[in-house]
Amino acid sequence: MELLIKNGAVFDPKNGIKGDKTDISIKDGKIVSNVSSKATVIDAGGRLVMAGGVDAHSHIAGAKVNVGRMMRPEDTRSGISPRTKITRPCTGYTVPNVYAMGYRYAQMGYTTVFEAAQAIMKARHTHEELEEIPIIDKGALTLFGSNWPTMDFVREKNMDKLAAYVAWGLLASRGFGVKCVNPGGGEMWGFGKNVTGIDDVVPVFDVTPKEIIVSLMKVNEMLGLPHSVHLHCNNLGNPGNYKTTLASMELANQVKASKDRQVMHVTHLLFNSWGGTNWGDFESKADEVANYLNNHDNVTGDMGQMIFGSATTMTADGPKQYANAKLLHAKWSNGDVELEDASGVVPIYYVKQISVHAIMWAIGLELALLTKDPYKMLLTTDHPNGGPFVNYSEVIALLMSNKKRQEEIKTVHEAVHAKNKLPGLDRELDFSEIAIMTRAGTAKVLGLLDTKGHLGVGADADISIYDIKPDQIDPSVEHAKIKSAFSNAAYTIKGGQVVVKDGQITATPLGRTYWVDAKVPEEHHTEMMKDIVKKFKNYYSIQLANYMVQDEYVTHPQVIKTGAIPVEVN
Amino acid sequence: MQTVTIRPMKEIKISVEGENISPDKFGGKTEKEIQSLVAWMGNQKTTIGDLFSVKVEGSGPAADTKIVLEGDFSRVKRIGEGMTAGLILINGNVDMHLGAKMSGGKISVKGNVDSWAGREMKGGELIIEGNAAYYLGAGYRGESCGMRGGKITVMGNALDFVGEHMCGGEIIVNGNTGILPGLSNNGGKIVIGGNTSRPGSEMSKGTIIVNGKVEEMIPVFKLEGDEAVDAVTYKKYTGDVVVGGKGILYVK
Repeated sequence: MELLIKNGAVFDPKNGIKGDKTDISIKDGKIVSNVSSKATVIDAGGRLVMAGGVDAHSHIAGAKVNVGRMMRPEDTRSGISPRTKITRPCTGYTVPNVYAMGYRYAQMGYTTVFEAAQAIMKARHTHEELEEIPIIDKGALTLFGSNWPTMDFVREKNMDKLAAYVAWGLLASRGFGVKCVNPGGGEMWGFGKNVTGIDDVVPVFDVTPKEIIVSLMKVNEMLGLPHSVHLHCNNLGNPGNYKTTLASMELANQVKASKDRQVMHVTHLLFNSWGGTNWGDFESKADEVANYLNNHDNVTGDMGQMIFGSATTMTADGPKQYANAKLLHAKWSNGDVELEDASGVVPIYYVKQISVHAIMWAIGLELALLTKDPYKMLLTTDHPNGGPFVNYSEVIALLMSNKKRQEEIKTVHEAVHAKNKLPGLDRELDFSEIAIMTRAGTAKVLGLLDTKGHLGVGADADISIYDIKPDQIDPSVEHAKIKSAFSNAAYTIKGGQVVVKDGQITATPLGRTYWVDAKVPEEHHTEMMKDIVKKFKNYYSIQLANYMVQDEYVTHPQVIKTGAIPVEVN
Repeated sequence: MQTVTIRPMKEIKISVEGENISPDKFGGKTEKEIQSLVAWMGNQKTTIGDLFSVKVEGSGPAADTKIVLEGDFSRVKRIGEGMTAGLILINGNVDMHLGAKMSGGKISVKGNVDSWAGREMKGGELIIEGNAAYYLGAGYRGESCGMRGGKITVMGNALDFVGEHMCGGEIIVNGNTGILPGLSNNGGKIVIGGNTSRPGSEMSKGTIIVNGKVEEMIPVFKLEGDEAVDAVTYKKYTGDVVVGGKGILYVK
């Protein structure tokens, strides 16, 4: 199967292509240097061509996504579309059904999406849903930050055992990377408490969040995992938390990267860049956070942009969600995953005229506009915490047009003028920078830049074509066209197959699931398993033999093999 | 003035989605146009003309349109959904979701209505001469607001969850109601002529008046003493204290 895309205005930042008319040849699902004359030709007609979108942080599958569906039946009243000859029925806006997840991402030109948090014990559920999400490639980050074995090995300062545990946990969950959510806090929530910063001691385990973060970064690099530690900071969602965020980011200096990427990815920074001491003097500190990123190359972040309207907050940060539910008088669901973290789900409605919401909205945009290098600030909405992913086009339009931002600012609470820098920011991102924030940058942060996020020879043939002619449009003025084009791709090509044409799904192949098989020395594994066997005997409600996700649950795996690399460990 | 009379041409066994039976949809339309409006029957797409005989007299806008339903509509759902004006007269029983989301106009039913009548109603009037089933004037599954305005009057009895998640408006049930009327009431008024059980659980605002017997009170209310409403003396309670509610419950 050969395909040739002609006359596209290609934006491929990794390969230095900025809107040049470049032909793209595709054979057997990969981009190649040329194809035969028998290739099917798609004439892009001067329209915008980018690699397929890559999302590094979105809650698309698993236990808490499903809890969101169960506790929000009202959400299924929107986004309803009946089945067609090739698509299944869709429902929902903030917590759509599994099929809609795949179709809607593909319709936006996205072809790879990573679920941001799965507990090992709940991983089977995650994979059951991932298996049903059509079209896109996917994977899931596994939670380690408040797991009992993690904290035990951190206290013992035994990095070999911790590395063996992480490797085994990734295998058990068929996971892609190390997620760390409010480290220590998830455990303290079991006692109705939380940690307030990175130096609080977690009782019984006698470790601090700081020690957990540094240790996980060390073993992440020992194992040479494709992605870095993916951190949801302590103190998230509290005014004044930017200090905790900056202190956490500084921990990255203690560890050297094993690959050409960051050693720490701090996620949904919108919720972590807050100044003030309470909701009254709440203000943006996005400038401080962006400034740190501008001066350091070992940390990356993503926006977690907020979208006005309905959202469903869902996170492994159990204590935060209890506080949210109390604050909002909202529905609340709490989850306790035995020895592995907690979780909570709370619906929220973001309102333009509520000052805190308006300030939050502006913080997300400030982060993107004040961070100079787009490789360090990825575009996300922390779906569905900041808002559903279907609104990425709105975020893109806001970043590309100061005019649109100024129009929006007029409609939101006036607090943004006093508490944010956004009204004075006139930076407008170009197509290359957008391509980095949604493709090349995300792929690089995930450690997948060899095959994802670019259009060079050897890359996966994941391509999106949008109905805009970059040389004939002024995104600053014609922001409505930008939004409309990025909402519905003219073409989405996944693995060399046209899956979307003119915004309509044309084919629904099943994508692959990425997971990492990390090898450690056998004796480290054996030592570590002695502790794990004890944990299962004494505390877990299930048997060790029933714990691991079997291969049957991952029918289209894409396994990345890595292994322990000796590095200096204190 | 436009009068539209519709009548089932045969017995309806599979439920019909009747959201197009509304003055807003019929107003100013000819018989042919009304007959061509969609009416799903189960998973089959049919039209009003396939199922009902339609007779139109005169012509006028929605506000000046009267719809008369003759015969058995007990398997027709969503009649008058979202209507903003006009009048619907129903001579028998109807299925679920009568007058859901209606914001104006009036619906009058001679018979009984099934569950969810006046669901998420915003305005207008609903008069039911028979009985109502569950979730009268309630919110839909998961929503935090049910009925927001307008008035529902039931001459007979109603089943459980009258005015669940109500945020405004008024419901009057002359007979008895099932359990938990005014559940999560957030600002509506409910008057019950007969008996009920466990009223006002989780209510944060609004008023519930029970003129009959309360078979069981949930222990989440604070007794404030006696108070007269329209020259009738009631015991006045406030609550639900568990949710910090400021709702008022009057019990004889």
